[in-house]
Amino acid sequence: MANVADAKNLSSEDKEILEKFLKANQLFHGPDQEIMNNHGLCPRSEEEERILSVEFDPHMANLCRGRILAALDESHTMVEQMGVAPGAKWGDIVTTIFTANGDMASTGTHGLVAFASVVGYPIRFINKYWVDDSSVGVHDGDAFIHNDSRYGNIHNTDQSMMMPVFWDGKLVCWVSSTIHEGENGAIEPGGMPSIAESKFDEGLKMCPFKVASNDELRRDIVTFLQNSVRDPKLQLADMKVKLHVAIRLRKRIHSIIEEFGVDSLIGTLRKSLEDTDAMVKERIKEIPNGTYRINTFLDSTLRENLLSKVPMRVTIKDGQMTWNFNGAAPQYTNRSINSVGASFKTCLATGLTLYVWPDLPKNQAAFAPIDVEFDENSLLNSSVDAPNAMSLLAIFRAFSLPALTLAKAQYCMPKRFTAISAPSYNQPATFVYGGLTQHSEITGNFCADINGNGTGGRENKDGEHALSPVFGYMADTGEMELAEEELPFVRLVSQKLAKDRVGFGKYRSGQGYEQIATVRQSSEFGFMSGQCGAKFSTAPGLFGGYSCPSYPLAKIKNINILETLAKNPEQFDFDMVELMNAQKIPGGKYSTQGAMNFEFCNEGEIYMICQGAGGGYGDVLDRAPEMVIKDIEDGLLSQETALRMYKVAFNPDNLVLDLEETENLRQEERQARIKRGIPYDEFVQSWVKDKPPEGVPYAGSWGDDDSLLYVNAPGVPPRSIQAGSEGVMLANPKDLRISSLEQEVAQLKQQLGAN
Amino acid sequence: MQRISVDIGGTFTDCFVAWGDKYVGTKALTTHHNLAQGFNDALDIAIEELAIDKRTLLSGVDSVRYSTTLGTNALIERNGPRIGLLTTEGFNSTVPLSRGRGYGEGLPFEKQRDLCNAVRPDPIVPISMIRGVRERVAYDGDVILTLDEDDLRQKMRELVDQGAETIVVIYANSVVNPEHELRTREIFLEEYPSYLLGAIPLLLSHQVAGRKGEYVRSTSTIIDGYLHQVMYHGLGTLEMYLRSNGYDKPMLISHNSGGMAQLNSTDALQTVHSGPVSGVAAAEHLSFSGELGNIVATDMGGTSFDIGIVVEGGEKHYDFNPVIDRWLVSVPMVHLVTLGAGGGSIASYDYLHNSIKIGPESAGSDPGPACYDRGGMKPTVTDADLMLGYLDPDNYANGRIELNPARSRFVLEEELCDDMDMELLDICKQIKQTADSNMANGIATELRSRGYDPSEFTTLAYGGNGPLHCCGIANALGVNRVLAPPFSSVFSALGAGNVNQMHIHEMSTYTVLYHTGTQSMLTDYERINTAISELEARGRDDLQRQGMNPDDIKIRLEFDMRYGNQRVETAVETDVTRFNSMHDVLALMGRFDKRYGERFGEGSQATESGVRINTIRVSSYIELDKVDFSHVKPVEDKLSMEPVSSRSCHFVGVDEPLDTPVYDDAALAAGTFIEGPAVVTTVNTTYLVEPDWNFHASHRGAVWFFRKDGK
Repeated sequence: MANVADAKNLSSEDKEILEKFLKANQLFHGPDQEIMNNHGLCPRSEEEERILSVEFDPHMANLCRGRILAALDESHTMVEQMGVAPGAKWGDIVTTIFTANGDMASTGTHGLVAFASVVGYPIRFINKYWVDDSSVGVHDGDAFIHNDSRYGNIHNTDQSMMMPVFWDGKLVCWVSSTIHEGENGAIEPGGMPSIAESKFDEGLKMCPFKVASNDELRRDIVTFLQNSVRDPKLQLADMKVKLHVAIRLRKRIHSIIEEFGVDSLIGTLRKSLEDTDAMVKERIKEIPNGTYRINTFLDSTLRENLLSKVPMRVTIKDGQMTWNFNGAAPQYTNRSINSVGASFKTCLATGLTLYVWPDLPKNQAAFAPIDVEFDENSLLNSSVDAPNAMSLLAIFRAFSLPALTLAKAQYCMPKRFTAISAPSYNQPATFVYGGLTQHSEITGNFCADINGNGTGGRENKDGEHALSPVFGYMADTGEMELAEEELPFVRLVSQKLAKDRVGFGKYRSGQGYEQIATVRQSSEFGFMSGQCGAKFSTAPGLFGGYSCPSYPLAKIKNINILETLAKNPEQFDFDMVELMNAQKIPGGKYSTQGAMNFEFCNEGEIYMICQGAGGGYGDVLDRAPEMVIKDIEDGLLSQETALRMYKVAFNPDNLVLDLEETENLRQEERQARIKRGIPYDEFVQSWVKDKPPEGVPYAGSWGDDDSLLYVNAPGVPPRSIQAGSEGVMLANPKDLRISSLEQEVAQLKQQLGAN
Repeated sequence: MQRISVDIGGTFTDCFVAWGDKYVGTKALTTHHNLAQGFNDALDIAIEELAIDKRTLLSGVDSVRYSTTLGTNALIERNGPRIGLLTTEGFNSTVPLSRGRGYGEGLPFEKQRDLCNAVRPDPIVPISMIRGVRERVAYDGDVILTLDEDDLRQKMRELVDQGAETIVVIYANSVVNPEHELRTREIFLEEYPSYLLGAIPLLLSHQVAGRKGEYVRSTSTIIDGYLHQVMYHGLGTLEMYLRSNGYDKPMLISHNSGGMAQLNSTDALQTVHSGPVSGVAAAEHLSFSGELGNIVATDMGGTSFDIGIVVEGGEKHYDFNPVIDRWLVSVPMVHLVTLGAGGGSIASYDYLHNSIKIGPESAGSDPGPACYDRGGMKPTVTDADLMLGYLDPDNYANGRIELNPARSRFVLEEELCDDMDMELLDICKQIKQTADSNMANGIATELRSRGYDPSEFTTLAYGGNGPLHCCGIANALGVNRVLAPPFSSVFSALGAGNVNQMHIHEMSTYTVLYHTGTQSMLTDYERINTAISELEARGRDDLQRQGMNPDDIKIRLEFDMRYGNQRVETAVETDVTRFNSMHDVLALMGRFDKRYGERFGEGSQATESGVRINTIRVSSYIELDKVDFSHVKPVEDKLSMEPVSSRSCHFVGVDEPLDTPVYDDAALAAGTFIEGPAVVTTVNTTYLVEPDWNFHASHRGAVWFFRKDGK
């Protein structure tokens, strides 16, 4: 037997026969790796070449681009106004225009560029497979829908509507509208199932397919989709929103063509990309040659504690920049935290354009010139069979890594395009919820708290508290009064900045906020919370700054806090630490954990989460003492920590600074540091080990060898595997627990028998 | 009609006086230390023109009406009192965190996007002046945690001890059940009675804003408290001035809702932006009086470009969560969008696309464009206008500013010509065209996102640079006619003279008209009817307290409605003022469907997902006499006129310079018809008639621009 893997051994004639046969007898148009692996720009089409090979007026293109941006802004406003999903309400949306080939040419001034970039992949898929397929085809008035990240998406909870734009019968561009919808019929409500053990637990998996013809949704298909999710009204309403937004955008594109001509539109879209591509290449040339590294770790798979390595190595040589992620943890074939490589790259691109070059246009070319290298079947570049519904854990790192790594490269550069900053918090905690509301509606979705993360300390100032999500700007944490009106839970603590929870440094990070919630007026409602960072800090410091703290989730079960507030209000403290340490509410079952799989919450039980802080910037001993005192005054810093961390002396009664004593304390600390220090070689000798320590749950490469991955996971014998192999299957924590209990029972039986 | 209306801006105090059939518009510098002085100066000019004495004027007018940017200035200058904030324990950080996005409110998108440089504005209430009080009310008004009065007294004392000069109280869900906020005031008055010297004002959030949303209600209440004293003292000075000069009627204050009220029935928050909003009110009045149909009002000044919408038939466009300075608030404000585009907008080289970029940076008025010769080193739109020959260097701003063309030439060559490898005049044309195109895009986005097409609107162009750029903007927008209104240099003052006495009251509600889960329609009519009645009663009380005749009071009812759980509601005006049957419910849903379809596209409606009312809004108003502007309509006569001179001007799309006739104020005589190209330089502004356009003057200084090939 001969298959495609043997192609190199086949004659050219046999190879041609085999390829032709396979094309004619394709079982299934699965994700196309040729499409998915290419984040670069398509070559110029014949049309583009014809238009741009002669002089193309940049001023006219500028005017045309202005019209396109206005159209995108209008359509973005429409989604904001019309959208039903919480994601639409609070900023997780985008509208986009693509070239006819599927290159992402522009989003509006607002909207998530990460959402936009990934839609290029399904458009390329449609161009490749459906245009010439007589059973599908691509026609004026058609619209396609899609959500499966294996065909190009951040994760399956986002849904995109894509519409071709024709002029004189020819396809001239594509437009799209994307919303983070939330509920998608997965094994857990809310669209981001943490317990998905296979891709078949992930709910809707829409490969790109036609859902509307002649500008009208096909009700049979809509019904099928509604039948597949918990919230059919959300599914219908937002499909209408996305369709009508695309129709409006297409109308505006037609007006632009009428005003400037179709060649001007096609030329402007392509030229904008090429201009950006050239600009990025110029910027790369300006960065000094070198290799810059960072290692970070996820501490959870959402089912067990496990340190998964996420390294990044940037190499710049002679104007070429390569981002290498070899040595990352392997994919987990039965955990949901794997990421599709294309999704991860899109988030890297977003990180680059948010935190390094925020002046660049929001298009695909901003990232196209950068080479990216992954191991196959890794946590960051998983296979199509691996579940990836909670890829957020991995890909949220992608937003932080570029700026963190390039900070070192940029520090010496005469021109920078934004301030150098330690990373923002990148594992936002939110209540993913599901169940029956107080208004007798079934729902499943997530809260907008994901949009309030502390930013890192910066080269010239402190970070900001709870400011936007790591993946976008001007996103909104919303109004709790409005959320409570729709959902059956009460935030007893809505947004509260706590003490001492920052990344310390010369410039400290901003904080996230603490939240305490309980369920009210529903007997069928529950929560999930999917993030890591409960054991291992996720936002490292920069240039001597401290990392952010770790943030466990805490809960008090077996109580009814609403009854307590009515009868014994003094038992309730509006503070997570106090509640957990003092344990004043009798009968409560107090516990902490990392991520939480979906569980039902009885009315009055308490759940507590924290948004995190960013990393600190610079040495704590360089922090201005006045800024330390200001933090104490604002309740953000305890006096004990001020003294211990910053070595600042002051009168504890009135906070008057003692600058002389402060200087003495700091000098003492500097001397103490010198005393504690050892020569580098000695440090390496004492610190570096050949392999990961036993007893530490760990997955990923170790040391300088990227090709060998160590896996030391609960319930799995420790082993090492070649990077790029098929990945790792982990034990079911429930099985491990059952096994452990069975052992206990057996021991007890043995003891009883002995007695 | 005898009436005075005034717009006190940051730089100028504008005055419009209607004295019988004589209308006079005057300007004087604003005197911030004593607003009465600037008003007096402006009034003196009017008195001279009308040839009457001040007492006769002030005792003879039916009203004196003010719109003012005093509040905006106070926010920028930060000269308000030290505020202490009492809020629900657990919500302590709501205000400092400003919904995450507060850093970027009021900023251009380039700054919003630059997260590494993001900084929140200095807080009006610092964290150290915020205290959480142990209490909690649920969304439905149920008390979950009873107000802890001992805790409250303790927190009050802490704030007072820390120097609070005003206290604001914002408790969660107080708009549904204000019991705890009201009790807080009682306790506060027990502790700090109002008869004591230095009594501290206390504001309750549910009385400032009636809608849910704890953050926006907080900022609204805080700003209201912050501006209260400044506004009271500033406007009180004016009232005393009026009294001492013969005016014996209540002074009226324009509100940002597009209405007005007496000083003692005005919240400080309602006055912020009332100046620009009065411009939209003037546009509305012109539309009605001159039967002009839909109008998009544009005000192009030195640093900004304001866009307002007036729709025939009276449908109002409001922002319910507008941004004031850098703060998102909750107050129904006439919709007004401000773009960072004006004569002072800086033109720079766009390296990326080898093109011109306009703004968002602006040279403002200080140092201003390079040609002002005040140190400006960056080329601006005004510099390009000067180079293209549109402006008279010796007669700009009525001769108040002498322009230096050499400075414009220098900065344009220095900053742009070399990089772009282009001739100076070609670059100036690109600047003009790009600036016009950007403003046209702004107008188009505004109108289209509300379901309108620009071609259905008459563009109204006012402000210092409006008549200069209006033809270019209209070209880019694809519209055929533009009106430069009468008294355009005091347009907001004119607007303040033509608004109704009005109060708006809102109430959050969770009223399901159609429940998709239970397949049921609203039948509990009493609850919503009672709420409407309550809001109507509040409006009537407001107006009757100000001496209005109950029979003259009119009511406009609006519901903010949504499908399913949409975030943003669509405001639906309705004549169904009480619900008595399912027919009424259906009628309202039908109206909502119609409005929604017009705006977002037919078929986009989603009734199947459920329909709900989120806010009830009642506008109670008295229709008052208006200044007559019926004569602004285009006139039939076409009178030719000899130009006073000519000069060489350069136009977009025309390669060679054109010898362009220049006219003076005489061209504003009704019937004057001038074919473009032409320049009309008057005391207050410059009208540029581009080659494809004609100029046709109407009555009272109104000027129409018509596209030559337009219908």
